[in-house]
Amino acid sequence: MQRAAFASKNSLVTLLVSVLACVFLYFALVGSLFVALAVIGIGLALIVLGEYRGKAEAIHTAFGEHRSLGITVLIIFVLTLPFLLKGNNYLLHIVVMGGIYSVVALGLNFQMGSTGMVNFATAAFFGTGAYTSALLVTKFNISPWLGTVSGLVLAAVLGLLFGIPALKTRGYYLSLVTMALQVIFTLMIINTSWLGGPNGVPGIPAYSLAGFSLKTSVVLFGIKLPYQANYYYLVFGILGLAVLVAARLYNSHVGLAWNAIEQDEIVAVTQGINQTKIKLLAFALGAAFAGLAGALYGHYTSFIGVENFDFSISLIFICMVLLGGMDNVLGVVLGAMLLTIVDEKLRDFADYRMLMYSLILIIILLARSQGLLPKRIRKYGKLRDSKIEPISNG
Amino acid sequence: MKVMQTESLTINFGGLKAVDEVDFAIADEVVGLLGPNGSGKTTFLNLVSGIYQPTSGKIIFQQEDITGSGAHVIRGKGIARTFQTNRLCLNLSVIDNMLLGLYSQKESTWWQAILQPKRCRKELRQNIEKCLLLLEHFNPDLVEKAYDPITSIALIDRRRIEIARAIVGDPKLLLLDEPTAGLNSEETTQIINDIGKIRQGDQQICMIIIEHDMNVISSICNRVVVLNAGKKIADDTYQEICKNEQVQTAYLGG
Repeated sequence: MQRAAFASKNSLVTLLVSVLACVFLYFALVGSLFVALAVIGIGLALIVLGEYRGKAEAIHTAFGEHRSLGITVLIIFVLTLPFLLKGNNYLLHIVVMGGIYSVVALGLNFQMGSTGMVNFATAAFFGTGAYTSALLVTKFNISPWLGTVSGLVLAAVLGLLFGIPALKTRGYYLSLVTMALQVIFTLMIINTSWLGGPNGVPGIPAYSLAGFSLKTSVVLFGIKLPYQANYYYLVFGILGLAVLVAARLYNSHVGLAWNAIEQDEIVAVTQGINQTKIKLLAFALGAAFAGLAGALYGHYTSFIGVENFDFSISLIFICMVLLGGMDNVLGVVLGAMLLTIVDEKLRDFADYRMLMYSLILIIILLARSQGLLPKRIRKYGKLRDSKIEPISNG
Repeated sequence: MKVMQTESLTINFGGLKAVDEVDFAIADEVVGLLGPNGSGKTTFLNLVSGIYQPTSGKIIFQQEDITGSGAHVIRGKGIARTFQTNRLCLNLSVIDNMLLGLYSQKESTWWQAILQPKRCRKELRQNIEKCLLLLEHFNPDLVEKAYDPITSIALIDRRRIEIARAIVGDPKLLLLDEPTAGLNSEETTQIINDIGKIRQGDQQICMIIIEHDMNVISSICNRVVVLNAGKKIADDTYQEICKNEQVQTAYLGG
């Protein structure tokens, strides 16, 4: 009896918190810069207060028990958002970009959050996916879907290649090597005319599904949805898959091995972890995520230029992971979304945009160095309750 | 039958021969490794566990030459170890540290971790069960704390967890590097009891223990090997070692 009451209380908590999170995200998106910052501030204050009062742990447990409820609320929010925005194409564009960047940040998190390898070449992987797909489609007329898959694969291969020199180094030196690789990538694009050089690749075709181009607007339930809505559903479908993959890896022996490498490499190898293999896996998987997102980006914006994939973009990806919370899948997505929103809202400041952007970042990181949603102890969901019931009397 | 043996095992660090032509063998027994500071005891364990690669010489484990294998390969073959300073992953929970001990035996690959077939979840559940059972064997309180971070665990329990992590995967050979370092006498007794329990189980694990406490050595070791300046200077029972003049000189200075 008491237990049932407890369970329903937890489901109520889950419902409340997830609805609240969606409301916050909605207002951060539709409001002005001031509103967005206020919403982030209030959200952060609530998180800090929750942790201070010990409620965060209870909420975490509640979510663990009623995960499907929380996910359902999120899915409903994601599905209805284009209608809530009344088909506003600018706001939808921000969310699509947030979704694309979230996929990249999830990939970077494998290297940076889980394994502790700060990679400054993420934009190069992102660019590899974008350029591969864009060039294959514009020059060889293959299907954009096939181009996207090629972008993913080539980025993963590049990730493996980048990973090899990176394996020989660690810490600051590793970061320096990745910086150098990022610079090489940018210079290679600028100096190769076949790759578009400084002019970029224009006229990248959109995806089409059974003859229906994703660049056409549709009228649904009496609301005229701009073409961005098509991409919105595509990108968020892929983001959903990316979150699933990232969460499963986090809760598996792979995530554990990455964490062990981050903590102490000697201990990790003496537990039987193949350091080379597991580090390369982090690079290849992260690059595959970035490559996929890059290809989506190209077919969405229909133009790519080298400035979309340079060093400063790599820095932004790193900030997304840092701000959201290292090694926390939900946190990384939240960080990517919020930074994309704030970045867009700062367009009013024109020349001072990057200055404001950096200022906001510094303030948030000073206030909360561990990120919005910090790293947590793995609870293993339902598997954890398999307590001391001897398998047999052996 | 010899479980592990080394043949003229040597490692040079620059001009220093840290381990110098050591012939060593261990059967189903507990061997104590003694020697003054800097005599090469820990370096010897680092060689056997694959952290260092020897300059020359051979390491043979269960009739197989494992010289030059990486540390993760050696762990997979059944040699586990602990460290002199407690080296648990502090950010991870007790159970995650324990699960690392089963990593070398996992059957799921990385893509199975993504696709998660039933077998993969079953493996994880069984592993958690196995870890919890072993923790209960060492200290029942640790089962309650299984999902707490290591930072909230007392030093003696951290020692226990490190030993439990090393044996949870049923290794054939266990290398313990000063398991009682930093513990008071009462805690030392408890840890020695725990180490004794390992041998009482049905799994026969042979051990090499580095230890400075002579009471510990005399109570659990079948045999003692003494190193000095990288060379093996004695290999006998504890009683005989005590009478050995070369050993006395090495320890007390000549």
